[in-house]
Amino acid sequence: MKFHRCALLALSLLPFAIAPAAPVADMFNDRLKSVVAVEFFVQAETERQPVMVLGTVIDHAGTIILPGAAILTGVAPGQLKDFKVYRPGSTESAPAVYLGQDAFTGWHFVRVDEKARAGLVPVTQWTAAKNEPAMGEELWGIGLRNKDEDFQPYFLSSRVAVTMKLPQKTVILGSDVAGPGLPVFNAAGELAGIAQTSFGQNFLIFSRNQRGNPIVLVNVEESSVVLLAGEVLPHLGRVPRSVAGRPIAWFGAYGLQPMDPEVAKLLKLENQSGVVVSDIMKSSPADQAGLQERDIVLAIDGLPLPRLKPDRVVVSYFGQEILRRLPGDVVTLSLLRGASRVELKVRLGDEPKLVREADRRYFERLGFTVREFLYNDGILHRASPGTTEGVMVHFVKPGSAVATAGLRPDDWVREIDGAGIKSYAQAMEKLAAIEADKNRAEFVLLVSRGGETQVLRVKLN
Amino acid sequence: MAAITLLALGLAGAAEAAMSRGFNRLLDAVVRIDVREIEFTDGAKRISGGVGSGVIISSDGLVLTNAHVVSPQAVEVSITLASLERVNAKLVGWDHWTDLALLRIDLDAVKRRNLSFTAAEFGDSDELFVGQTVFAVGTPHGLTRTVTRGIISNNDRYFEDSRGVNGYETGAFNTWLQTDAAINPGNSGGPLVTEDGKVIGINSRGYIGADNLGFAIPAKVARSVAATLVKTGSVTRSYAGIGFRELQDLERFYALSANTGVLVGNVDVGSPAAKAGLRAGDVVLTLNGRKVDGRFPEQLPPIQQTIASLPVGSIVKLGVKRGDQLVELSAVTERLESRVGEEWAFEKWGLTVRKVSRAYARENQLTDETGVVVLGVQPGYPAAEAGLARGDILTKVGSKTIAELAQLKALYEAYEAKPEPQLVEAQRSRRISLYVIKP
Repeated sequence: MKFHRCALLALSLLPFAIAPAAPVADMFNDRLKSVVAVEFFVQAETERQPVMVLGTVIDHAGTIILPGAAILTGVAPGQLKDFKVYRPGSTESAPAVYLGQDAFTGWHFVRVDEKARAGLVPVTQWTAAKNEPAMGEELWGIGLRNKDEDFQPYFLSSRVAVTMKLPQKTVILGSDVAGPGLPVFNAAGELAGIAQTSFGQNFLIFSRNQRGNPIVLVNVEESSVVLLAGEVLPHLGRVPRSVAGRPIAWFGAYGLQPMDPEVAKLLKLENQSGVVVSDIMKSSPADQAGLQERDIVLAIDGLPLPRLKPDRVVVSYFGQEILRRLPGDVVTLSLLRGASRVELKVRLGDEPKLVREADRRYFERLGFTVREFLYNDGILHRASPGTTEGVMVHFVKPGSAVATAGLRPDDWVREIDGAGIKSYAQAMEKLAAIEADKNRAEFVLLVSRGGETQVLRVKLN
Repeated sequence: MAAITLLALGLAGAAEAAMSRGFNRLLDAVVRIDVREIEFTDGAKRISGGVGSGVIISSDGLVLTNAHVVSPQAVEVSITLASLERVNAKLVGWDHWTDLALLRIDLDAVKRRNLSFTAAEFGDSDELFVGQTVFAVGTPHGLTRTVTRGIISNNDRYFEDSRGVNGYETGAFNTWLQTDAAINPGNSGGPLVTEDGKVIGINSRGYIGADNLGFAIPAKVARSVAATLVKTGSVTRSYAGIGFRELQDLERFYALSANTGVLVGNVDVGSPAAKAGLRAGDVVLTLNGRKVDGRFPEQLPPIQQTIASLPVGSIVKLGVKRGDQLVELSAVTERLESRVGEEWAFEKWGLTVRKVSRAYARENQLTDETGVVVLGVQPGYPAAEAGLARGDILTKVGSKTIAELAQLKALYEAYEAKPEPQLVEAQRSRRISLYVIKP
């Protein structure tokens, strides 16, 4: 692998050596200043998982963007520890802070310590390519080796195979062109875009001790998918105002399905795309505006939904149209309801609390983590909206008292010791008392799992 | 000492003679069953074949076998008698809960062809003891008239299987006999007998991959179900919607003395028990005034059977302990239904479906019983081309909601007469999608 890469490097250099622009090695070395490796840990209940990702510097304040896949959803910001930023080829690291995730782009933002900002150059410094790369055009980018090789930078290049709207304009190259999260350039050294996590090339690592729950998503070292500069540059200012990534606009319909072209034809909506609405959450903005199951959304604020391929992409398009807006914004939807056309104004709300924001606590002696019951849990468990009863099991320590009793992650705890749980605080009080009472021999949980309930007897000591 | 031994031998000899008479009679009553039945799995109506065993239990040609050997979807049932002659048989009744089916041999054919058979005798399955020698007779892997020997390994085995009989529920209302007499595929429906040839069970299943862990329906259950099936063709049971669980180890927590009450593990949404106000975590102390003891799992089927055996529409009075309180609840039973609804094939669409039943809707947390579940689609046929897939719930065609299978059949007939594109609405985990079925 290592030797193979060296060979590729040597071969790829040849055509650029005779190019009229600046020598590619010079361009490469300049642009290295916009590129870093970021290391951090995900602290779980019983183990720590190191994560290594690549990032691009976006401003003079030392802000760095990381791909959305770098951190799994559901991981609380408080679990992210010890961010360190490494320059290519260096063993020295600088501390950094995590700023949060932007809901629209999916990027995670970190900011490196002031002392380490001097040598960094924002990616915006490089002229953006005016035109989209043509099919067959050669693009190049930077890859970084692993920590044990001091993040040694290396050169990658490939030709554009196809440009797609997914729904953002994205080019797919014949082979890997850069590390995921790192910038990609054209022959003139202009910024063409940022390499994305490649399709089907990331995988989940599962904990050795904790079955069922993936703890980290690993990206392969290189990517052949590039989000074009025109889709990147306008959004670099979306640095989260809080670590929770708030505000996040909320629509409130859960099951959106693309409208099949055959269906469009039958409904005499040729060349029109749409999303079929189902599972509207009660008292959500969509519900309050009067959206109904089976409505087909055809346009947002007068703009018809585009026909994108594959069909599913239109659902992402719709989702992004919501997320690019702010809570309180009003969107006008054009709908097909049965045979009639309906216009509906929806005032977007504030996204209900996410798993990563939920209060949670680990009870070491009992062997599990409990978190708040969230609005979204209610949807999954088909509970009536706004239910705050009970708490969710977030983690179960293998071999622990509760694991032996048969408790599983995602169980919904309804009762503790026969008393109905009305709030998170009440559950905390009860569990803390049980955890602290060394003479306690047992306690009993009533849990709900897939619509069925179970009484679990937990033996302590 | 010597005399005693001789006496014992003498007795054994006499007993053996009696046993062999009984056993030979039994052998004449065991039949092989060849079945051809309709299957709706892959988007087409297909005929598949199977082999099982059975035992003749009356001189007028009633044959007892397993529900998973002969089902109502059987189109041809052929019986091989002890004389190796074959005659046809018809399904008389079927009960997947106990995995039993009752057939009737074509007596006209028997008479016309001058054939004969013997009816087996039942023994008392309540009298069995663990370690008692038993024999299984049947057609394992198509090997007609195979006798294997073992013992009763356990005479009160509890297991419930929500899809045990070709996707139908089984085992909730009875415990099973367990034996180490070799039971293989094809033994199903054959008798488990004592040394004197008395039928004490109907062999029904074994653990595949395990050694000699076979299970049989006790004769007591089989006789009573057969008596009902011959009269009405099916067994009507009452349903309250309570999932009982054993109280074992929890008595102290619920402040109960031992062997008192049974735990309510689950209450089906919308069921009579739910309407009556019963909740998971309650402890049922009395059932229609009689004390209940559900300390161990083996005691749960008889409790379920108490409710099931009531006429549909009966009032079930439950004495319930909830925390420190004692409450009296009463539920009105409904007719027990399977999770498996009626199945059908729409061959020109390459689509096979099963009606959403009340139990299926509950199990999958659906809002109601509307629609049919897609069992399969045939590649290249309109349903598959439209994008429908196994597990989708088809709820609407055109502007018509599919509440009953008959409605879909009618729409299909109209399509057959005049094929036109049909807008179809289907749900998958409650997400609605639209598809077009095109000729």
